[in-house]
Amino acid sequence: MTFHERTNVQTSEPMTSVASVSSDQISRSRRPVLALGAVIGAGVVASSCAAQAPQDTWSPAGENAQMIHNLQWPIFAVAGIVGLIVFAAVGYAVWKFRDRGQPIPEQTHGKPALEIALTILPAVILAVIAVPTVSTIFALADTTDTECVVNVTGQQWWWEYDYPIADDGSICGFMPTAGNASPIITSGQMVLPVGTKVLVRGTSRDVIHSYWIPRLNGKKDMVPGRVHYLRLETDTPGIYAGQCTEFCGLSHANMRMEVIALERADFQKWLDNELKPYQAPETAAAKAGETVFIQQCARCHQINGLVDPINGELVVSAPDQFVWSGAAPNLTNLMMRNTFAGATWDLLSPQCRARVWEAAPEEFGERFLEGVTPECLNTVDLREWLRNSPAKKPMYADAEMLEVTDGKTRGMPYLALSEDQIDLLIAYLLERK
Amino acid sequence: MFTTGSKLLLGSTALAVVFAIVYGVTAQGTLGVFGLLSAAVALGLIAGINIYSGDANVSVDDTAAATVAAAARQAPTGSPWPVVGVAGIALVMIGLVTTSMVTVIGLVAILAAVIEWMLQAWSEHGSADEAYNGEIRARLANPLEMPILATIFAAIVILGFSRIMLALSKVGTVVAFSVIAAVVLFIAFLMAAKTAVASRTLGGVVAIGVIALVAGGAVAAVSGERDMHVIETTAALAERGQCGTEPSEADKKASQTVAAKSNQAATVTLDADGSLSVSVPGFSPSAQSVTLPRSNPNNVLFRNQSDHERRLVIDLGPSGDSESKTLCTALVEPGAVQLLTVMFDKPSFAVEGGHRFTVPGVDTAVLKVVVP
Repeated sequence: MTFHERTNVQTSEPMTSVASVSSDQISRSRRPVLALGAVIGAGVVASSCAAQAPQDTWSPAGENAQMIHNLQWPIFAVAGIVGLIVFAAVGYAVWKFRDRGQPIPEQTHGKPALEIALTILPAVILAVIAVPTVSTIFALADTTDTECVVNVTGQQWWWEYDYPIADDGSICGFMPTAGNASPIITSGQMVLPVGTKVLVRGTSRDVIHSYWIPRLNGKKDMVPGRVHYLRLETDTPGIYAGQCTEFCGLSHANMRMEVIALERADFQKWLDNELKPYQAPETAAAKAGETVFIQQCARCHQINGLVDPINGELVVSAPDQFVWSGAAPNLTNLMMRNTFAGATWDLLSPQCRARVWEAAPEEFGERFLEGVTPECLNTVDLREWLRNSPAKKPMYADAEMLEVTDGKTRGMPYLALSEDQIDLLIAYLLERK
Repeated sequence: MFTTGSKLLLGSTALAVVFAIVYGVTAQGTLGVFGLLSAAVALGLIAGINIYSGDANVSVDDTAAATVAAAARQAPTGSPWPVVGVAGIALVMIGLVTTSMVTVIGLVAILAAVIEWMLQAWSEHGSADEAYNGEIRARLANPLEMPILATIFAAIVILGFSRIMLALSKVGTVVAFSVIAAVVLFIAFLMAAKTAVASRTLGGVVAIGVIALVAGGAVAAVSGERDMHVIETTAALAERGQCGTEPSEADKKASQTVAAKSNQAATVTLDADGSLSVSVPGFSPSAQSVTLPRSNPNNVLFRNQSDHERRLVIDLGPSGDSESKTLCTALVEPGAVQLLTVMFDKPSFAVEGGHRFTVPGVDTAVLKVVVP
């Protein structure tokens, strides 16, 4: 019997007995399927639980994230209740009126009272939700109470941070102990003082990226040619992890970032360390490594204060001539960071990394400011990176791909460094802190 | 079993496979091989359908028609397409030693000849009825031919008009096209006034118009375009080192407003007292410096609050082979604004004296730019 035939059949046979028998048979046959579905469903729900979730949107660690948290909880509750009611109603209707061979019941069209109610009710719910939502959006867009500005620039596939100098010579409200300030520029990890209202002024050099530190605020797209603002603040020292959340090319998944929150005294130490003059290499290996750096790396990577011993002039990188985005990470104090290559790999060995990440808030600053010591260096990943960076992090190393960028690379190219050169470079970089 | 059409399609399939192999071995391009193999599969599929449907030829089902039909006995009618095909081959040869455009025209002519010739041959074997054969040809070919012919006609008209417009002077263009428009209107009026116009007359008038247009276009193309006046920009001004106080052509029609949706990194204001200050969200207004990132376009809004027309200038320092590169806005009227997009290739410490915004004619207007 086809569907069309059935719609026209008028039967006098009572449906209840047929329905009860078939329902019973069906329920027995479907029990294993339902049980399996329940187990899979429980597994899916359980998989969202994690002991260590550094990018958990449900554990805010600052005023801005707390504002979002305060908003999302009641909205999640309302949406959850509405969702449950809708799913329950749909489930009830599907089960109650399932196909048991019965004729199609008489169709009714239009029920004004119900339709008006189902229009007004969601409108009222949305209107109620809109009030705190709009209020929170405006509060998160406020830039008048800023105490510290950090310029954040995204490019394939890393983040650059620079700290502008205020008219009084301060950076983020901190006066350099040694006197004159010069611009601080770093990458991968943004260092902030706790209890400070920070304003990120973000943009991008190539494609659209998105900056997101889930425990500190919502995400913000960084569009080339535009400047976007994002508030950050936390009261607890520690590391807050993030991830680019706008697909930006081959290594989008390898474009990470971390915010390092330091006590105010520790931030002052970090600031002073960043502003100290260039330290000439001490060991013979490091001195030789400086030469390798100038020959192989300095055309893209800047180390402030580095002087070419051959001509006695400051070494000025020119990444705009070699890299599509026009920029490469400034490596002035590389070993004061815990990560490299877009915060994708750790500069610290697993044990030393755990010591920093798992430090209590009152101990965190001291451990972070130790930087990377020779004993703690993650030589495995760093050596692999220097040996063949495009093999470790996909970066369009194919020559055909470079035709569209006029020969410029996206990210770091393969440099064909020898093992000896890598040893010397590591010796030199280890002293950059 | 194998009809004329199926032989053609099977041959084309085999040819596509051979080309794919040859291309794969010589050029080693996977995309080309993939395309040619796709063509082979498509042609093979059509060949199979063709064999199955008997080439859609009535003679397959009605074998008598093949022997008694007039179309079967008559010699093929005259066709211009062999001549077009040969001309196309000649053009390809000429193009190989002259310019690629001639080769392309030759290839198009060959393609058109092959398709049209095949269509003609196919339709002539459709049935014994010549009128019917003409009809099935039209049904198949017209949807393809009409848009192509219309496009060619439109291209001739547009190209002819544009060449004439570019060759004549500004005033001459206005006069010429006023006259042409008046003539077209007059002829149209005459035709509309008549109760009936023979199609031959109408066709003749249109033909004369097209010939005149093509001839005029050809003459105009040969004589070349008139001298165009290029409006000067501030980039040319900066290149000549003339970002000073003197007004130039670049300043005459410069915009004095900026869209509200523009997104600026900083707002630089020239105050009435001759000082430059900068405003950046998150910072208190500063009269000393502004920090802008390197290797990234920075949109700086210049607001002129003085009583005179002024422009904002920045020296970007050495760039590539050039010793120094300067950028400037056009002259900005009092109370007006303009955007200056600046990109720094080098950090401030690498440029002697650093980067500075200045305003020609106002010595006190200096603002330091810090590029980390």
